[in-house]
Parts: sequence; C-alpha cells; structure tokens
Amino acid sequence: METRQTFADDSTGLAAVGQPNGGCVIEGHGLAMTFGTKRVFADINVGVRPGEVLAIVGGSGCGKSTLMRQLALLQTPTSGSVTVFGATLTDMEDGRAGALRSRLGVMFQNGALFGDLTVLENVSLPLQEHTDLSLPLIEQVAMLKIALAGLEPEAAALYPSQLSGGMRKRVAVARGIALDPAILFLDEPSSGLDPISADAMDELVLQLKETLGLAVVLVTHDMDSLWRVADRILLLSDGRVAAEGAIHELVDSSNAAARQFFHSRRGRASGAMYD
Amino acid sequence: MVLRDYGANLYVADIVGLSMVRELAPLITAIIVAGRTGSAYTAQIGTMMVTEEVDALRSMGIAPLEMLVLPKLIALLIALPLLTVFADAMGLFGGLIMANTMLDLNPATFLSRLAEALTLHSYLSGIGKAPVFAAIIAAVGCFQGFRVHGSAGSVGRQTTVSVVESIFLVIIVDAVFSMAFAKLGI
Repeated sequence: METRQTFADDSTGLAAVGQPNGGCVIEGHGLAMTFGTKRVFADINVGVRPGEVLAIVGGSGCGKSTLMRQLALLQTPTSGSVTVFGATLTDMEDGRAGALRSRLGVMFQNGALFGDLTVLENVSLPLQEHTDLSLPLIEQVAMLKIALAGLEPEAAALYPSQLSGGMRKRVAVARGIALDPAILFLDEPSSGLDPISADAMDELVLQLKETLGLAVVLVTHDMDSLWRVADRILLLSDGRVAAEGAIHELVDSSNAAARQFFHSRRGRASGAMYD
Repeated sequence: MVLRDYGANLYVADIVGLSMVRELAPLITAIIVAGRTGSAYTAQIGTMMVTEEVDALRSMGIAPLEMLVLPKLIALLIALPLLTVFADAMGLFGGLIMANTMLDLNPATFLSRLAEALTLHSYLSGIGKAPVFAAIIAAVGCFQGFRVHGSAGSVGRQTTVSVVESIFLVIIVDAVFSMAFAKLGI
C-alpha cells in the first residue's frame, strides 16, 4: 500500500521527466566499481538524453552490465552517484530507490521471467503492484504491451518454459514497458538469438523508441545492433570510457581502443554492410 | 528392560509423554522441516538470484522481502506448530503401542497415567517453541538464498549451509529454552 502511495505521488512529478539537468533523463557521475581489490571501472560519467539509444560496449568482463545495473538503480556503486527524475542516489538500498526503479524498465539478459506465472501474469505483475486499476483493465493494458513487444495474443496464456529464447526476451521487454517507463534498459537483447530473431529484436527496439519516445540503454556485443539502433556508443576499456560518440565517429577515430574494437574482423564485416 | 527391572513400567507413560511433548516432538519436527523446507526456501530464492528474477522484482519496485520472504515466514509460523501437534499425537501413539507390546501395559492404563502426567502447561511449553523454530528456519533459509551469487553451484553450496545452520541454531535455541524453563520452573 505504501509503495503504491509513493508511486502515485511520484507520478504527479512526471512532467519533470525529459527535461532535468543538462537535458539528460539519467546521469551517472563518477561511477566506480571495485570487487574486493579488483577495480572494474572508475570515474565513469554518462548521460542519456531523451529519446536516444545509448549503447554500452566493451570486452567481456569490462563491467558493461555492472554499469547498466548501477544506472538502473539495482546495484550500489563503490563510489559515484546516479541522478534520475531529479533525485541523486549514491546508495541503491535507499528507500527512494524502490519507487524510482518502478519508473525504469529493465530487460534482463535471459528474460528473468517468473516461471510460475504465465506471460500475461508476468506482464500484469508490475501493474498490479503499482496501479489501482481493476483486474480486467490491467489485463487489457498487459495485452497491449504484449502486442507492442511483437508477440501474438496466443502467447499470453503460455508459461515461460514453453517459450523460445526470442519470445522470452520479448515478454521481458513487454514487462519492462508495462509501467510506461521513460527509460528502458536492455541487457544483451540479441545474445543467444538466431540472426533473424536478433534482427527482429533490433527492429523492436527502434519501434519502441519511435512510438513510445523511450530513451534506451543497451548493453551489447552485437555489431549489427550497434550499426542499426545505437545513436551513441560508450566504449569501455581498461576500466574507463575509452571513446564515446556515434558509430561513424568511432569507426573513423584514431583512438586505439575504438580501432581495436571496431576493426576486429567482425566489426569490419558489419561495417562493410552498413556503410 | 531397565524400567521393568525396577518395576517402573507404569512410569513409561510419564516419561514418554513428557519427553515427547516438551522436547522431542518440537525438536525433531523442526529438524525435519529445516531439512525439507529450509532447504527449499534457499534453493528457490537462490535460483531466482541466479536467473536475475530477484533483480527483476526490484526493478519493478517490488521489495523482494515483501514478495518472497514474508509469505514464507508466515506460512511456516502457522505450519510448524500444527506439524508439532501432529508429531505429539504420533509420538504418544507410538509410546502407547510400545508400552502395550513390550511392557505389557494396557492402553487404558497408559492413557490414564498420561492424563495425569501431562499438564496443559508442559504441552504448551512444547508447542510454544515451534513458532520460534519456524522463524529461525525461515530466516536462515531465506537469508542464505539471497547470499547466492553467480552460478547454480552456489545454490547447492548455500542450501547446504542453510540446512546445517538452521539445524544447529534450532538445537542451540532448544537448549536455551530448556535452561530458561528450568530456571523459571515452567
């Protein structure tokens, strides 16, 4: 009941979304992560502008997902802060974080769907928790989100175990956008998918960005996704931001890390296709 | 049969009754439940940690404590005392059978002795421990579940830790209860 109240209070401040400091919907200031004595990254500043797709890329283990989790208010950074919806948080266990998180959408790498719930119930869950809508209305909204995510209505009655990997990711997207977030976080949306489903996933991201005006933060390895959907790319290397900019700028830059990444054999192959 | 040698057949009802109701039934039930339910709690929450479902809950602004821990705690607070009542009944029934077949004590005598020996007081002092054990098992089970990180191997490790810890704690707390009851003369 209490969370519902906070959410209702917060949603009156929704007008503030999209126009806070520096024109960014979400900002990370001096973010750092240390596991024990191992420093993963330090002093990372990142901002996401309204309606843009920001891709976070880098080698495996460079902390891409960790950075995304910090921005999504799921993990407390070793140091630094995240500013979102006018609130600056340094500790993600902070009471305010819970209410703020419900206004961010997250798609986890393997969907993280609840196995005991059907697709419809999975997508309805955030609505049941945070709105006072009647059950039939919640189901209508959930069905709309399921359709937006590009799934057939028949899929709604299925359980996650009956879905393919691509469908599971779509359900996760549907659940992520259930509460009409201003920002959608996607953790490797095309990993583990066949080329056709991966392409379809890219199209879905573009479609959501255009129809819903979402800002999207994307963690990916997929060169094709970078060419197709990313407006701006943040390249992590050696625990810092090695390069930042549109893909053309990064491909043509003389930056060593960017050259290494985009002039890998795979990087060149997809570059040739899109150029 | 030591009791028979001392002509103490009759007291078997007192001994079985009191030890079962005050100590054995609550303790053994708690140990079995720790092995069965505590481990299931850890495994369930642990698996949800590995598949990022716990993070998904948090990302929806739902507190995992509210959604995953509270229902389990309440369920066990209700179930363990009820199971203890069942264990009491079964334990006393077993004592009756044993007294009848091995000590030639007929059931009517056994029951009448039992009625004299067992006070509501001792019965409740046994049942009263069950909610405390339930809270320990649920707390340890859920806590260890949330400590899972990384892979499926970690789920197995934390489940083992959960069972060992909760059984250990239940036994320690039971001993503390015994000392406290002795001091207070309950």
